Amino acid sequence: MKKLALNGLIGGILVAVLLITAAIGLVWTPFDPMKLSFTARLAAPSAQHLLGTDEFGRDVLSRLMIGARASVWIGALTVFFATLFGTLIGLVSGYARGWVDGVIMAVNNALLAFPGILLALGLLAVFGANQYGIIFALGIAYTPSMARVVRGAVLSLREREFIEASRVMGNGELYTMFRHVLPNCLAPITVLATSMFGWAVLSESALSFLGLGVPPPAPTWGNMLAAGRPLIQQAVWLGLFPGLCITLTLLGINLLGDALRDKLDPRMRGLK
Amino acid sequence: MTIEPLITVRDLSLEVARTGHQVVKGISFDIAPGEIFGIVGESGSGKTLATRALISLLPPAIRVTGGSVTYKGKDVMSMPDRALRGLRGAEIGVVFQEPMTSLNPSMTIGRQLEEGLILHTRLSSEERRTRILDMLRRVGIRDPEGALTAYPHEFSGGMRQRIMLASVMLLKPALLIADEPTTALDAVIQRDVMELMVELTRAEGTAVLLISHDLPMVARYTSRIVVMEKGSIVEQGRTEDLLDAPQHPYTKKLLSSLPFRGAARAIETAKAPMVSAQNIVVDYPGRKSLFNKAKPKRALHGVSIEIREGEVVALVGGSGSGKTTLGRTIAGLVRESEGEIRFQGRARDDDWRDYRLNCQMVFQDPYSSLDPRMTILALVEEALRLVPDLDAAAKRKRALETLEEVGLGADYAERYPHELSGGQRQRVAIARAVARRPRFLIADEPVSALDVTVRAQVLDLFSDLQKRYGFSCLFISHDLGVVEQVADRVVVMQDGRIIEEGDRDTIFDQPKEAYTRRLLSAIPALDQNDKGGVTLKWRLEN
Repeated sequence: MKKLALNGLIGGILVAVLLITAAIGLVWTPFDPMKLSFTARLAAPSAQHLLGTDEFGRDVLSRLMIGARASVWIGALTVFFATLFGTLIGLVSGYARGWVDGVIMAVNNALLAFPGILLALGLLAVFGANQYGIIFALGIAYTPSMARVVRGAVLSLREREFIEASRVMGNGELYTMFRHVLPNCLAPITVLATSMFGWAVLSESALSFLGLGVPPPAPTWGNMLAAGRPLIQQAVWLGLFPGLCITLTLLGINLLGDALRDKLDPRMRGLK
Repeated sequence: MTIEPLITVRDLSLEVARTGHQVVKGISFDIAPGEIFGIVGESGSGKTLATRALISLLPPAIRVTGGSVTYKGKDVMSMPDRALRGLRGAEIGVVFQEPMTSLNPSMTIGRQLEEGLILHTRLSSEERRTRILDMLRRVGIRDPEGALTAYPHEFSGGMRQRIMLASVMLLKPALLIADEPTTALDAVIQRDVMELMVELTRAEGTAVLLISHDLPMVARYTSRIVVMEKGSIVEQGRTEDLLDAPQHPYTKKLLSSLPFRGAARAIETAKAPMVSAQNIVVDYPGRKSLFNKAKPKRALHGVSIEIREGEVVALVGGSGSGKTTLGRTIAGLVRESEGEIRFQGRARDDDWRDYRLNCQMVFQDPYSSLDPRMTILALVEEALRLVPDLDAAAKRKRALETLEEVGLGADYAERYPHELSGGQRQRVAIARAVARRPRFLIADEPVSALDVTVRAQVLDLFSDLQKRYGFSCLFISHDLGVVEQVADRVVVMQDGRIIEEGDRDTIFDQPKEAYTRRLLSAIPALDQNDKGGVTLKWRLEN
């Protein structure tokens, strides 16, 4: 139990640093992230440029801060989209069962059969490569897994006697669904949503890395990583720092997700 | 004592290694060869852990802090693992409570039975086969040859427990430890399995250590009994003496918690019944898949039942008799394919709202019938949500009052179900059901999951509330002891049909049907004496 609290703390700190950095990036950065400077090209980390500069002389730290904003924004909206639709679809599917469930799950499984990133790539080709295209594409790509998890939770919940007790009390189906079924699905939803946030950050980076994400010169961690790749021999910091940001963010999100699940479940509370 | 005891336990103490909490506190007892010896105690009394220590099979979290276990003059605690493996199975066999999980689901019965023989004997495969077939025949498996290649899921709970017993008795152990061997089974099958166990062990001269919370059942088969409470032995002695003149207050409490028959009540029969179900037929749809369509299974074959105002009608029968299905159908959780249910003279389906307001249900398992995310107060208040003519303040007041009535004061209001014991949860479930002041209550095995003393308290509570509010009740149970205490009238079901019904005293004293007599033979009639003890009289099947 103690170890878990520590994990949660570490995760919380990492995520907090990400959020704060993204917030600061909104109003202030050490340098203008877009400003080119031919006198300070590929400068190594120093007191002036803490994380060095890139091949156009732009400050890496400033660009990472702006990139964090893009990552958080895209990640959060994607998760919101996928959770909202995934939960609704899963609830309806698990609660209604029968042919409704059959149809929904057939479509769901077909979508699940594509790897998420491939599906997102295809959708991006339709929506166009920009921030909202990514959110929409990733959101659609992640909805099926959320729907599946929620449906599974609902199916096992609806066999429990307290759901029948609610029916015997005369409560309507909608009331029962939102008062009894949904709150008891929160634990798996939270855990999945947090790790989904991690996936979204990663996928956004991957898409940008492939040149299908947010187009340059606007910085994201993914396209910074991609830009640093050919220069890895001369300026290792160009690839290293964006990569580190992605890794630490994912680690933090996963640790926090686990800790959240235990906090959210009242059954776990008495155990401390 | 001239006979050398088979196993001797002296001052055995166990604790939870992490917290130092003592779970067994210096217990001592002997078991003689061929004797049937009982340990009785409620959950948490340490009876299971104590017996696990006999074969050195304690869970890793438990540590032995003192005492000794001697089997045939040898110290079990200091035995090397090799010797222990020789002891387990071959010398001391164990039958566990849960027949669903104690057989390996992915192995055929034949292979599982053979395992022990391969390990502990030098028989040829031909000899093993004859011995297994012989044993399966003796435990009453109809087609022993077929059973060899069958898997555990193909058998019912009772059959599995017979197979389990066969696998243990194949090795002719000197001692059989049976830990709640029949608790998961219904009353009739329970008795059959116990009789079989006694018959087999007697034939082989095997001693039995029978562990259970069910005092009458243990008393029926044992010669000596130990009573455990909170890790200590509070009383031990010959079974008859212990029952006749219990010394320790806890033993007396256990005995007084046994269900007994109350005075018969007069029920108004002239008026129209509160609830009546006519010719109810229920079919469970067969499994549908793309390629085949199984036939629907008929669970109820045209059943009719009436419950009058203020009357408690008990619905009894073994598992699979359809009693739960009938209860759920009347509650509206299962749709009937034919028949009609009337409530206060009107068809139920004409006014669902009225029916829902006036009909409530208490479920069997208090662990799954309460929403784990709601506080106790919220759970009871929710039951009042749809009640008209009550404002929020009145609803809260009623909820708190009802909690008080079931013995849960205001400090329980903000707790969650997982913080409560099983008995307290069932009180919450009852509070939730009566808060609406229903005219009719369906109680599906409401006390089956509870310990003996808690069961007695909950039954008392139930009777009090029933008297105070006068609701009609359909009380579903496989435990006739409980039924004898609460019911005005008894309806016996078998295979989806009602086979006998009548007022309680008639059914219990002059049962007509053979099946009813079989059900009754599983429970004792009690005669209380003035020493705080009881005499158990077992009814004959014929």
